[in-house]
Amino acid sequence: MKLLEYKSQELFYDYDIPSNKGIVIDSLEDLGSTVQDDEPSRGNSVCAQIENYPVVVKAQVQTGGRGKAGGIKFAENEEELIEISKDLLGKKIKGLEIKKLLVVDMIDVKKEWYLSVTLDRKTKTPLLIFSTEGGVDIEQTAHETPEKIAKVSINPMMGIKPYMVRYLINYFDIDSDYLKPLYEIIKNLYKLFKEYDCLLTEINPLVIDGDGELLAVDGKIDIDDNSLYRHDDIVKFRDALTEDEKVIEARKYDFLYIPVRDTGNIGVISNGSGMIMSSMDLISQKGMEVTCALDLGGGATAERVQEAIKIVLENDNVELLLINIFGGITRCDEIAKGLKMAEDAVGDKKVIIRVEGTNKEAGLEIIHNMKDTVNSVDSILEGVDALYEHFSG
Amino acid sequence: MSILVDENTRLIVQGITGREGKFHTEQMLEYGTNVVAGVTPGRGGQEVLGVPVYDTVAEAVEKHNANATVLFVPPRFTKEGAFEALDAGLKLIITIAEGVPVHDMLEVYHHSKKYGATVIGPNSFGVISPGKSKAGFMAHRIFSPGKVAVLSRSATNCYETVFMMSNRGIGQSTAIGIGGDMIPGSPFVEMLPLLEEDPETEAIVLIGEIGGSDEEIAAEYIKDNVTKPVVSLIAGKNAPKDTSMGHAGAIVAPDGTGSAENKEKVLREAGSYIAESTEGIVDILEEIL
Repeated sequence: MKLLEYKSQELFYDYDIPSNKGIVIDSLEDLGSTVQDDEPSRGNSVCAQIENYPVVVKAQVQTGGRGKAGGIKFAENEEELIEISKDLLGKKIKGLEIKKLLVVDMIDVKKEWYLSVTLDRKTKTPLLIFSTEGGVDIEQTAHETPEKIAKVSINPMMGIKPYMVRYLINYFDIDSDYLKPLYEIIKNLYKLFKEYDCLLTEINPLVIDGDGELLAVDGKIDIDDNSLYRHDDIVKFRDALTEDEKVIEARKYDFLYIPVRDTGNIGVISNGSGMIMSSMDLISQKGMEVTCALDLGGGATAERVQEAIKIVLENDNVELLLINIFGGITRCDEIAKGLKMAEDAVGDKKVIIRVEGTNKEAGLEIIHNMKDTVNSVDSILEGVDALYEHFSG
Repeated sequence: MSILVDENTRLIVQGITGREGKFHTEQMLEYGTNVVAGVTPGRGGQEVLGVPVYDTVAEAVEKHNANATVLFVPPRFTKEGAFEALDAGLKLIITIAEGVPVHDMLEVYHHSKKYGATVIGPNSFGVISPGKSKAGFMAHRIFSPGKVAVLSRSATNCYETVFMMSNRGIGQSTAIGIGGDMIPGSPFVEMLPLLEEDPETEAIVLIGEIGGSDEEIAAEYIKDNVTKPVVSLIAGKNAPKDTSMGHAGAIVAPDGTGSAENKEKVLREAGSYIAESTEGIVDILEEIL
C-alpha cells in the first residue's frame, strides 16, 4: 500500500520527524477553515489556516514526475491559492484524478539530501540509503555517480546505532553539528519503518532550510499489504483512496483484483499469482489481451468463487472468462460449484475452465452438466488455444 | 536420497486441529508421511486421525523425537509458530501460510540462521519427495518418483510443470515450494548445494518470477558450483508494471535486477537452459536427460 504524500507527512509528524507545516484540502471550502491545533491536517476534518505566503500547492496523486506534469504550483497570496486550487482539484495528472491538495509553507532550500530505509530483498535486511545530493535527480546520481550514495545494511536484531550515522557524516564530510539531528531523524524513520511494516520509507528531499534546520519536505511510504490487519488507520486511508470499485469489492472476500488493460477482452481467474502470470504470458504470446485478472488465493470455497466470478463479469470489457485452476489447497469441486452458483451472472458469456489437482473428478462432473457456453479444457495450453479459436473464428 | 523430507522424516503438524490442518494431515498420512504428533495450544491430550495432539512443540518433540514441522496456522501466527519450533530445536520448519507480514519473516529468517535451521516458505505448498514423504498441501497425485528436482516460487506453476513431467515419464526427486513472498525462509541458492550433492537428483528445474534478486543470486552460484543441468523459467513477463513510486528500488538495483529479462540473461550466462513456458521446461528436460 503506497501512501500519498500527505499521509506520509502525517506519519512523519507522529514519529517526530520534522516536516514542513501544511494543510490538506479536497474542496475550496476547506481553505476557509480555522486553526484547530498545531498538528498537520488529518484528512479534511482538521485544517490549519494558512498564515504565511507564498505557499506551495501539491497535487496528491500516486505518480512520479508530478512537478513536471504541472502538479506542483506556487501561490503568492490567497487569490492565487484559490485560483490554483480551483484549477487543480478534479483535474487529471497522468490519468489520475486530483482529489486532494497539500498546501505547505514555501521553504528556503539551502541543500537537498536523500534519505530512505527500504527492504533489501538481496541481503534480506533493511537498508539505509543516504546521499547529500538528493532531489529529483537522485536516480540519475545512482546511475552515474554511485559513490555519491551510501548504503548501510541494518541488522534487524540491532537496529539503528549512532556509529552508522557517524559513518555517513564522515563519508560525506558533513558538519558534525548535524550528527545529532540526523541520528534522531534516521532513528525515528527506522522506528516508523518497523512499527508500520513498511517496505519503504523515503524522505526526498531532506532539506536544510535557511535556518540550518533539517526538514522532510516530501515523503513516500509503502506499507506491506499483508500487515494491514494490524494498521486500521492505513486500511481506512486505502479504502478512501482506491478508485476501482471492483478492487474494493474483491478485497472484501480477500481476493486480489488486477485491472490489466482497458483494450483487452479476456478475464482471468486463477488460484495463485504465479498461475495468473503464466496464463497472461501465454495469452499475450498469442497476441490476445487480458483486461483484468482475479487471484482467488488458496482454498476458496464455492460461495467465494461465485462472488469472484461476479466481480470479474461486472467488468464490461470481459467478453470471455478463463478460469485456470491447479488445486492443491484449492479444491476443484468447490470451484465448479461456485461457477454453477454464478450461472445467472455468467448468462451467455463464454467460459473456458480448466481444473486440475485436488478433487478434479468431482469438479468435472459438475462442469460437464452445465450449458454449452461453459467449456472445460484439459490444460492451460488447450485453454489458450480455445481462446484463440474463439477470437479468430 | 532426495533432500529435506524422506522416509526418515518424523513430522509435527502445528495447527492440526484446524480445517486445513486436519484435511491435509489426512492427505499426508494417506501419502505415507510419518506424522508423529500435532500441536494446537489448549488442545493437548486430544487426538486427530489417531495422531496425538500437544499444547506445545517442545512436548511433541520430546515425546516423539520429531525432526521436522509443518505449520498449518494462519499468517498472523506464523512468526510465533516458527519461533516456537526453532526454540524446540527443530531444524526443518515448513511454513505454508499466504499473507505473512514481511517484517515477521524478516525476524524468522534471521533467527533461523542463528539456530542453523532451514525454514521453507511461507506462501509455499511445502516439500515433497515423491514416493517417500510429503510435508505440505501439494496435490500429490501429480507427482512421481524420479531424478529431477523442482524448486518453485509459485505453487501453481510448479504443479503445472510437474503434471506434464509425470505425464511424460519424468519423475521428481524432491519438489520444494520456495514460496512467493519477498523474503523466503530459504531462497533458491540455499537449496542448490543440497541438490548438487544429492545422488538421486540428475537435473534441477528452477521456476522463478519477476521481482527480487533470488534468481540472480542463484545464477551466480550455479555458474561456479552446479554441475548438474538447470532448466529455468521466469514467470511474469507480461504482468502489468507496478506504478513505481519512490526511488529506493532504482537505487538499490540500478542494473535492472528483478526484471524477467535480467533474470533470464544471468541464468543463461550461468549455463542454465531457459524455458519460455511450463511446457517448454518439459521439452528441454526430455532433450537433455
